[in-house]
Formats: sequence, C-alpha cells, structure tokens
Amino acid sequence: MASENKSEILAEHAANSALNKPALAPVARHNMDLSADGLRSPLDERIIAASSEALEAGHTHYVDVPGIAPLRAAIAESLNDATGARCEPGNIIVTAGVQESRFLTIQKIGENFESIAVPAVAHPGARKALGVRARNVIPLSVDAERGYLPPIAAISEVVAGGCRLLYLESPSRLSGAAYTADEVAAIGQALRDSGASAIWDQGLAPWVDGDCPSLAADEDRPALFTTIGEAFPGMGLASWHIGYIAAPEDQIPAMQSQKQIMAICTSTAAQYAALEASNLFVEARGLRMSQLSQLKSRLIEVAADRGLDVVTGDAKNIIALRASEAGAASLRDAGFDFAEGASFGAPAVIRLNVNAATADALQALS
Amino acid sequence: MSKKKAEGTNLLYQLMSEARTYDDVIVMGRGDPDFDTPAHIVAAAKDAMVNHHADYSPPEGLLALREAIADRVKRVNNIDVDPATEVVVTNGGQEALFLMVLAVLSPGDEMIVPEPNYNTYADSLAFAGGVKVEVETYVQNDFRADPADVRAAISDKSRALLLVSPNNPAASVISPPDMREMLDIAISNDLMIIADDIYDLFVYDDFTHLSPASLPGGLERTLTLNAFSKAYSMTGWRLGWIVGPADLMARVRELKAAISGGTSIISQHAGIAALTGPQDAVEMMADAYRRRRRLVLDALDAMGMKYGLPQGGQFVFADIGFTGMDSGEVAQRILSEQHVLAYPGSAFSKDRKNYLRMTFLQPEDQLIEGLERMKVAMHNIMADR
Ligand SMILES: Cc1ncc(COP(=O)(O)O)c(C=O)c1O
Repeated sequence: MASENKSEILAEHAANSALNKPALAPVARHNMDLSADGLRSPLDERIIAASSEALEAGHTHYVDVPGIAPLRAAIAESLNDATGARCEPGNIIVTAGVQESRFLTIQKIGENFESIAVPAVAHPGARKALGVRARNVIPLSVDAERGYLPPIAAISEVVAGGCRLLYLESPSRLSGAAYTADEVAAIGQALRDSGASAIWDQGLAPWVDGDCPSLAADEDRPALFTTIGEAFPGMGLASWHIGYIAAPEDQIPAMQSQKQIMAICTSTAAQYAALEASNLFVEARGLRMSQLSQLKSRLIEVAADRGLDVVTGDAKNIIALRASEAGAASLRDAGFDFAEGASFGAPAVIRLNVNAATADALQALS
Repeated sequence: MSKKKAEGTNLLYQLMSEARTYDDVIVMGRGDPDFDTPAHIVAAAKDAMVNHHADYSPPEGLLALREAIADRVKRVNNIDVDPATEVVVTNGGQEALFLMVLAVLSPGDEMIVPEPNYNTYADSLAFAGGVKVEVETYVQNDFRADPADVRAAISDKSRALLLVSPNNPAASVISPPDMREMLDIAISNDLMIIADDIYDLFVYDDFTHLSPASLPGGLERTLTLNAFSKAYSMTGWRLGWIVGPADLMARVRELKAAISGGTSIISQHAGIAALTGPQDAVEMMADAYRRRRRLVLDALDAMGMKYGLPQGGQFVFADIGFTGMDSGEVAQRILSEQHVLAYPGSAFSKDRKNYLRMTFLQPEDQLIEGLERMKVAMHNIMADR
C-alpha cells in the first residue's frame, strides 16, 4: 500500500532547497580534488601517540558534553592568543566539526531571535544548517569587489531594520577575504549600538598572514558575540571532525543541552588528538603559512599571465576566481574538482585549494 | 544553580556531577558499560591514525563500514538493506535518533511513544516541533506496550510510532506477536516506525528480539537505529547507524550533512574492526550482564522491591512508591548519604516519580556493595517517615 505520510515526507524533502544543496567535504577525495574545506596535512606522530595512548588507557567512554576540560582550556587559550578574545574554558563547546558548530549556533542562538541575517554569499553549510528547521532568513547583500563580504553599510541596514542576529564569515569561506581591524570595529559598534548578536565563522583565520581581526576581541564580546571554527586546522585532523564554539556564558547551556540531545559528546579519539595538536599548532601553522603564502603568490602570477580574474582574498589556503561556464567545464574535463561558487550563492566563481596541484588547474582553466 | 529546578537530562547531569565528587561512589546511573573498548578495536583505530587519517568519507560514512553494517543487520536482525543507499553512519545512536525524528516528523505531527522511554526522544521531538502522544505501560505487566493501547492513541495527526526494544529505562522487550501487531497497526494507519535496536544483543531468559523492518511490509516504513556504544563498549567513540528504505534514507543523509557533515574517520575504521573482527568480547560482556542482572534482581527481591522484569537491556526499573517520596529526592539521598548513583524515574517521564533506574554496568562486587548501601539508604528513608 502506498504511504501518504511517506509521500508527504518526501515532498517536504524535495521542496527543501537548502538541504538539497551539495555538501563540501572536509578533505580531498583524490589528488586533483581542490574542493575540500580543509587542508591536506600530514599527521604528527605525537598526535597519533597521544590519541592512541588515551584510548589504550581506557578513555573510550562518554565524556562531558561540552568537551574534555583540558581541550576546552587549550582552545580558549589558543583563541585568546590568536584573536585577542578573552575566553574561559567555560565559554567553549567542543564540537564534532565545524558543521556541528554551525548547526548548534544557528539553530539554538537563533531560537532567541525572530530572524537571522545571512550573507547572500556564505558557506553552503550555513544554509544547510538553516534548512533543518524553518527560520526567518534575511539576506545580507555582499560586495563582489570586496571578496563577497557584506559591506558595513549592509550590516548597519539590516540591524536598523530590526534584525538582531547576524551570521558572518571572516575570512569569507568562498574568497578568503577578511575584514580589516577597522571594519571589525565598525561592525562591533553597529551591533553593539542596537544590542544585536553575531555568530562569526572565523575558521579560515589561521590562514591569514599575521593576526586576523575577530569580533571575538570586541570589548563587549562577553554579551553578544559567538565565534566558530575548526579546532587546530592544518594538523591532519580534518577527517576526524573536530571544531569549536566560543560563546558568551549565557548562550552555553542551551547549546550544551542541544549537543547532548544530538550527540552526547565528541569522540574521545578526536579530542585527545586535538589536545596534542594544540601543543604543536603555533609552530606548525607558521611553517604551513610560509608554504601557502609562497604558493598562493605564485598562483596569482600564473593567473595574471593567463588573464584570469582572481577574487581578492586574504586567506592563503584558497584561491577564488571568476570563471565562465566554459572555463569551469574545461577544468572539470581536465579531471579537477573544485568548490562551485553557486553553492555559496556566487554562481560565476570557483574556489580552489592552494596546493601543489593548483598551478596545473590554473593552466587548465581557460 | 538551584538543585530543585533541574529536570530530565539536566537532573541526571546534576547527579552525575555530584557523584564525581565522591571517591567511593558506585555508579549505577549512566548507561555506560564499565568495560573498556576491546583491544583489537583500539588497535584498529591506531592503525587508521597511521594509514587512513586523511581518508575522505561522504556524509553517510565509508562504504566499507556501510557494507559491514548491512551484513550485521542482515545477520542479526534479518533486515535487508543496500549499503549504497540504505545505510547512514552517525555520531552514535544519539545522532541517529535525532536524525530519525527530524526525518519523519514535521511541526504538529504526532509520534506515539510507549512510556516510560529514553528521554532524548522527547527532546528531539520538541526540537522538531512534533507532539508526543504517550501510551502507558505498567510495572505489573513488566512494562509491556500493549498494541491495543497504541491503536487507541492514533489520531489523524499521527505520523510515527516509536518502538524501542529492549526499552530504556523499562527494559521490556516487544514480543514477536506484539511486534507483528504493531506493524499491522502501522500499516493500516499509515504510520512510520522509528525503531531503536540499540540493546538488541542483550536479551534475557526466553525473550526474543524482533526488528519490525525484518517483517513483510516493515522496511519501507521503518527507520532502524543501532550503535556500537553498548554492544562493543564504545560509548566514547560516537558511532552508530540508521538503516531504512532508500527514499527516506536520502532525507536522512541530507540531514546528516546539515547537522554534522560526517562522522570521524578514526571511529569509522574502529567500527569496521568491531563488526568484522572477533565477537568473543561481545559474548563475554553479554554473559557478564546476564549474571549481574540475576544478582541485582535477587538483591531487589530480598529488599522486597517491585520492578518490571528486565527482559533485555542493561537496566532495571524499580518501584520505590513505598517511600512516598519523589524519585529525584530518593536518588539524591542515596547519592549524598550512601554514594550510590541511580537515576530517578522522573527524568524519563513526569509520571514515573516513583521509580529508580539502576544499571548493571559495574563489576559484581561493586554491584553487591552498591545494593547493600542502597538498602541502608532505603532503611534510613523509611525510618525518617
Ligand atoms: C534507547 C537508546 N537509544 C539511543 C541511545 C544513544 O546511545 P549512543 O549515542 O551512546 O550510541 C541510548 C543511550 O543510552 C539509548 O538508551
């Protein structure tokens, strides 16, 4: 007998365009896959040792919902050092990857607000997280010339229009463009003036030269601003799925309860690995950044030689280009995978990871 | 935080955090097996760290793991699924549960839930905007969910029926004839079934576990969850699965991508080792639970406590109505005075204020000691009345 209930479920599903968008993977599927969100990185032996020793010692049981205490402390310290935030371990929730961070923040902080403003160009994972449970989404216009970041004026405008929760990315997950310190200050001011809150995805910040300004450093942060990202990216843990939320104390209980409801806790193998990664991160990041910077500079030269239109971006791990349908098709034909701007909301753009294969991809892009 | 206010899961966390402050505590609360994960599974995880740490896995999980899961549900549950399209790997049974509820229920839809039940179903349903319609079960019938009561609970808003067998906390197992009737009810009233088989390897005496998805007409309307947590003592790995018909599983897969993106690669490789490697540790643990269950029941009998016979699972749900006190207070007193953690029934259902859930997930000497202390606490409680 055909099930009407099931047909309804399937029809609702088919109509949910946010959920149906393709997902981006945290790691590359093959050598010519330049679409991944995370870096292809070796895994330090010390991380393997720390994680496997923890498992051998019996850390194979449930642990605290928001994460093991030393990892929460290590994440807080690392964010404070990198962004000027003033997090305590109690402000941190360890997540099973940045997508879980997006989901928990968007859905649970979102519950307290009538609407949420989301940039017209943002990581597809943000729209997916919104698609799980209907929310009133206000589009924030973006500036294509500024790496598809929303201009300050657009932010002020939605806030003036009454929206009290914004989802922002800096660096942009598509272009790598990051707000300057002055812009971050202006955003903080605009939000604070109206008592608006923000969820700030700063997952690509480690791949910006020097310090990447964060809303987390804002004077009034404890009351209003939440940051999310991958925990210790570039340390070979992308497939392990480990991320963080750094939130004002009063936002923690609701997200912690929801984390209990949907996951109980985060895998201990990943948490003990991330804990060891925290000790190695600063040095490893420095090395990685110098490689990536060189690679990206060269790619920009190659692109210029070939007359390609590079979207300005600060993060060194990705390079975004404006590409015609034909250009994208030729790249695909040459065997490369890449992130399609369309899934972010910018159809004429493609995003490539910066690595040894990227120069060849640019050659194939005509 | 005020102690009196905590309810449901928060109450359990409050008790757990107090329990941690006692050096001599005996934990009969949380459903976390005392056994560590078997060594060959840990070894496989270490191997994965060396050789597969950067493997790509789609949101639904590694194909090799989905194949092992399809084999397992065929072998153990007689459920036929295609690993390519009908299996999704999850962050534990918990994420599986959340995904199943979200996949099936929209705001205003009703789910029929035999009570008492695992509290996260109510939490997930609340998130989805669904409505819980409770069907009572009774200690004198060993918490049997009566198909006639389920039938009576159906309305034009009913969309799903929850079947957790063996049940948490009541430890009842839905008998094969009852399960067939539940499926008939689901078919004739066009209900989806959410089946939770997480305790399917722990069934006692002559009771038998039957998966609704194994019955004719069952699979197409049933999502079935299971996990590595209880069977392999892998609660900290956060690894579970859902199996179901391809059309519904496509929705589950999209939701999984939206909620957490994917499942940790190391846990997935550990899961492959668990399912395809030697199973003697599972048998050893099941034997241990069988012995411990007997021991706990004997002690409760000696105390004259009523309970629903645990037909499966890892708990006993005992009636403490004779104390005349709320289970939250009783659990609190047992913990503070005797350093024994048992879970109050009120955390599972507002109507179960006169029950305590005790696990048998501790070594026998600990259980004996815990039950002795509980006897003292009960004695003191009665003396104070
Ligand atoms: C009935 C039931 N389902 C699902 C779960 C979730 O288990 P886990 O997420 O640890 O696999 C539990 C945990 O206690 C349970 O009792």
